[in-house]
Amino acid sequence: MYIFNAPEWFIGYDIGLELAFAVVALIVSWHAFKVYKITGQSPTKIFGISFLFISISYFLQSFLNYSIVSNLNQSICLALQLNNLIFLNTIEFYVHMVLFLLGLITLTYMTLKIKSKKTYVLLVIAIFTSTFLSSSQHYSFYFISSTLLIYIAMHYLINYLRHRQAKTLLVLFAFILLLFGSIHYFFAVNHSLFYAISHILELIAYILILINLILVTRK
Amino acid sequence: MNVKRERLQVIFDILRAIQDKNGKIKPTHIMYKANLSYTMLDEYLKELAGKGFITSEETKEGKFFSLSQKGFDYIHKYKYVIDFAVSFGLSE
Repeated sequence: MYIFNAPEWFIGYDIGLELAFAVVALIVSWHAFKVYKITGQSPTKIFGISFLFISISYFLQSFLNYSIVSNLNQSICLALQLNNLIFLNTIEFYVHMVLFLLGLITLTYMTLKIKSKKTYVLLVIAIFTSTFLSSSQHYSFYFISSTLLIYIAMHYLINYLRHRQAKTLLVLFAFILLLFGSIHYFFAVNHSLFYAISHILELIAYILILINLILVTRK
Repeated sequence: MNVKRERLQVIFDILRAIQDKNGKIKPTHIMYKANLSYTMLDEYLKELAGKGFITSEETKEGKFFSLSQKGFDYIHKYKYVIDFAVSFGLSE
């Protein structure tokens, strides 16, 4: 949960970073849909959808975290303020969790390179059931995210070994950093510094993705 | 899908062969560079000229083909699609 995990000095910066992640993910999604329009290949469409989910999850996380910080700064009744904070915090966690997991599940489904709606639905049901029924949904969310990111990073490792290009290496590093970021969030539940480290790792990952996009789009 | 992609690759090879020769090339050179038979090349060149990707010019030295703006745009778009698909692990 945001207000309990973030170090005090980092509050505010994280909101800006989450907004930046959302923008980069949205740009990736937009390019994927543009490529899909040209080629008509479904993996590109699925990739675009996954990054759209990730982008919306960051946009809403950033917006809700901003609302939490705004609430903290308002001088209203303490009990009412606490009530609002807990409510916003809970909403922030669930909204981000659902959309981010949907993004990762969709990306994992893309790496399977199969056309089976049943498999996709099964993945969604299995992952959401295990997350929501867990006694510790926070740990469960970060554990499942990390597991999915391991699988996705493996896909990009194979992709790099097949093509051995600077661009494929950039994307591989980006997903490895996203994986490390996710693992750090796991520890952020008890140590707030890990929350900041996770954000910084994610920032480097999204910068690498952005560099790759610049290399791809330049004439 | 594979047939379509191979076709797009052939078109890209033809257009890039023209681009590599500063935008003007003889058909025989395209044939070697794009690794195509004469019949295949003739079909592709007719189609590409018909769709406005290339233009032909008769000179004393023979027939030359040049890239149009549409041809240059195709090369850029093809490279963009391939680079995006390869770097994000979307190619099969």
